[in-house]
Amino acid sequence: MARGPAAERSHPSETSESASVLGRGARVRGRVGGEGDLRVEGSIEGDVALSGELSIEEGGSVAGNVGASTVLIGGALTGDVAATGAVVIRASAKVAGNMSGAEVSLEEGASFSGRIEAEFDLPAELAGRQGR
Amino acid sequence: MAGTIIGQGITIEGELTSDEEVVIAGTVRGKLSADGPVTVDAGAVVEADIGASTLSIGGSVTGNVNASERVDLLGGARLVGDVKAARLTIADGASFKGNVDMDV
Repeated sequence: MARGPAAERSHPSETSESASVLGRGARVRGRVGGEGDLRVEGSIEGDVALSGELSIEEGGSVAGNVGASTVLIGGALTGDVAATGAVVIRASAKVAGNMSGAEVSLEEGASFSGRIEAEFDLPAELAGRQGR
Repeated sequence: MAGTIIGQGITIEGELTSDEEVVIAGTVRGKLSADGPVTVDAGAVVEADIGASTLSIGGSVTGNVNASERVDLLGGARLVGDVKAARLTIADGASFKGNVDMDV
């Protein structure tokens, strides 16, 4: 009897655009892109270009350049990151590459090698005082 | 819960391999090979050969499919490619063009 795939997962139409997961036992060799968020528990060898959030879980890995709105790194990343929003490098992360985002944070315990560039506008009050 | 879920807006160009279940609601171009069940949801587009234990197709697949157990084409499915599987069902409304080898 053929299964209805939608019936087994809760609200696939709501989550399908925003709950993509690359499982622990999965590997992609090639490019990943598109609209939505992606949680990486497995590995990606290739570039990633997402409109949404990329989250590399502890145990997950990405070897390639990443472009996304928000990038949360708890696993391994070798490659450059260009985020329109925040880049969060967690304690469990091992990162080698250049990070660029609106804000970049590095938790104690993280391994990081590379450059960090956070581009932001100082609020008017500070900009005036510091003469930037 | 599926090991890997590729949502509607996501495209993978290259090879996706998994030792667990895979659900594709987005697009895969290249090659897809899983040790477990693979589901291609309605609206998904797969231009790749697929290997799986069981394969349930509700969307569009162009490529040869090889399942160790079974392949099910649901109504609305579109498969252009050969099928190699011990069991096969083709629901009313599915489109299929290809050869079938049930290893008889």
